[in-house]
Amino acid sequence: MSVESRERILARVAKATASRAGLPHPGALVTPVTDDPEAAFVKRFTSSGGEVVEAGPGRERSAWLTRLLRGLDPEVVGVAVGPEVPPEFRPRLPEVAAAHAGAGISVAWAAVAESGSLILPSTGTRAVQLLPPVHVVWVPRGRVYGRLEDALRELRRNLSAGVGLHSGPSKSADIGRTVVTGVHGPGRCMAVVGSYAPTGTSET
Amino acid sequence: MATGIKDYAARSREIIREDPGVRESVTGATIAFDEKRRQGYAEVDADAWRRWAEGVKNHTLTHLDRYLAEAEEQLQANGAQVHWAADAAEAREIVTGLAVRHGVRSVVKGKSMVTEEIDLNPVLEAAGIEVFETDLGEYILQLLEEPPSHILGPALHKSLEQVQELFADRLDTARDGDPDTLARAAREVLRGAFIHADMGITGANFLVAETGTVALIENEGNIRLTTSLPRVHVAVVGIEKLLPRMTDLAGFLQLTARAATGQPIGCFVSLIQGPAADPGDDGPEEVHVVLVDNGRTDVLAHEHAWEALRCVRCGACLNACPVYRQTGGHAYGYVYSGPIGSVLDPGLLGLHEAMPLPFASSLCGACEDACPVRIPIPELLLEWRREAQEEGLTPWKERAALAGLASVATRPGLYRLAGKIGSRLGATGAARVLPMLGEWSKDRALPKPSPRTFRDLWREGIE
Repeated sequence: MSVESRERILARVAKATASRAGLPHPGALVTPVTDDPEAAFVKRFTSSGGEVVEAGPGRERSAWLTRLLRGLDPEVVGVAVGPEVPPEFRPRLPEVAAAHAGAGISVAWAAVAESGSLILPSTGTRAVQLLPPVHVVWVPRGRVYGRLEDALRELRRNLSAGVGLHSGPSKSADIGRTVVTGVHGPGRCMAVVGSYAPTGTSET
Repeated sequence: MATGIKDYAARSREIIREDPGVRESVTGATIAFDEKRRQGYAEVDADAWRRWAEGVKNHTLTHLDRYLAEAEEQLQANGAQVHWAADAAEAREIVTGLAVRHGVRSVVKGKSMVTEEIDLNPVLEAAGIEVFETDLGEYILQLLEEPPSHILGPALHKSLEQVQELFADRLDTARDGDPDTLARAAREVLRGAFIHADMGITGANFLVAETGTVALIENEGNIRLTTSLPRVHVAVVGIEKLLPRMTDLAGFLQLTARAATGQPIGCFVSLIQGPAADPGDDGPEEVHVVLVDNGRTDVLAHEHAWEALRCVRCGACLNACPVYRQTGGHAYGYVYSGPIGSVLDPGLLGLHEAMPLPFASSLCGACEDACPVRIPIPELLLEWRREAQEEGLTPWKERAALAGLASVATRPGLYRLAGKIGSRLGATGAARVLPMLGEWSKDRALPKPSPRTFRDLWREGIE
């Protein structure tokens, strides 16, 4: 039935548009280019409720992240960490299933200044990105795009099955027009900028 | 399909009279949304963005067969399965068939207008499947067994007090629970549903032909969870949702969010290509995309109404509409309400079924100014009204009165006489004598006629 419907729908579409001139594509949408994508990302992401932290130049990222998470919640007993996160970027805390974790740790494919977004591939575990109340995301150095269009153009060559763009904490104003956070996804979304260099790339 | 559209006028009166809180809630929420849209537009060159979006959609709609075929090919290459549904019944049958085939006992749903349109939930429930609406507003309405009243804020007609009462009764929260507490209670129920669901069902904001990408925008994270945790994901997608390229999506993601809530982008965007394929990906084993016509090709074939298919379902026209603000969406009697519903429903359902929605507008034009894809809603309303008049779908009293008016207006002597009589009778008297005017004045205050006719004033030398 679906095959018949396919032919029927496509035939109806063709017939409906046959007498109408095919209109041209207007080309690319022109949007401003920023000189400092990282600063623009920080501004946009934080204005949407996201948080940005800097891990500093040291090599002890694991210890730093552990301190950060303990500072957020001294009682935190376990974290969920995506498989893409290298050992030196994992906190020194027990790793537990995402549904029971106090925080999820991921690595973004890139960030985007224009929309204030973190682009998260599904090669990192999706549950880690969504179930814990806090989501901490390492943003690779030099991977902050100014424009969303440029990021998506590049992403076309790296598309995983289910890419997520996260641009702040989970929120809703469905009850009494009052904004509440952490409705379904993480109530805190933290981007760590300036220090993550993927394994195999040179540290500076 | 059966709708409640015919009762629009009676239901509007009833809502305004019996439930004034609706007007208060809807007006407050839509004015706030509209103000945010204005701020969101002011941050960019909104006119240029809207013209661009109109152009991309027009290009897509005039090459729709090509892009549908391309999207299907890409989706299949990504491992997704594509189904085609000519009407609502076939769409329901496909989704229910998939659920039965996979032994699904529990479904989580993301907010989706098209699944409301095809009336999916009752069929799933009849098959013994538990259905959870997971958008917070939709969840509230599911508990109340009400349909959504707004594209974006389905429960915006409900006050905090009404939700407090509902959750106290159903989720055992305190009767004065604050929004945060209430949201936490809903989250607790729905978190369990996400983890145990066998199938996730969503709509789509866009379908990118070039990459076979189903794109979904949201703020809560429930759609990301719906498309990620269950072992099967079904996206029910209207055939007008196509975009040619991934780079087009960049503009539409941002413009849609700005039009809807004034945000630069939704807090969460899901770009679904197909089932999980990479090591470490815990996404669904199967992804199905159901492409739905259900009247869209009729709209596409219409000389004028096809432009309504540019709609991105942002709700901006509802928020800007002074008529919608009085009643909210339930008065309209169908899933697509407000200005866009009044131009889309006649095309999807047939003009006869959608009467009197083309007349449910003051033609102020605020909807067109707000629309991110520049749909000429007032023009389309006038076109539907013209067709309704031609097809004899307007009330006979109105047709007779308009014919009478035309007859009088084209005969100077008769017009002079009618003017004199009208000015002597006054508004109330005229409404009593003229049947159509009486009908028209039931819901409106008639202007007071001048005691002297225009002709008298003209003779006295006015400029």
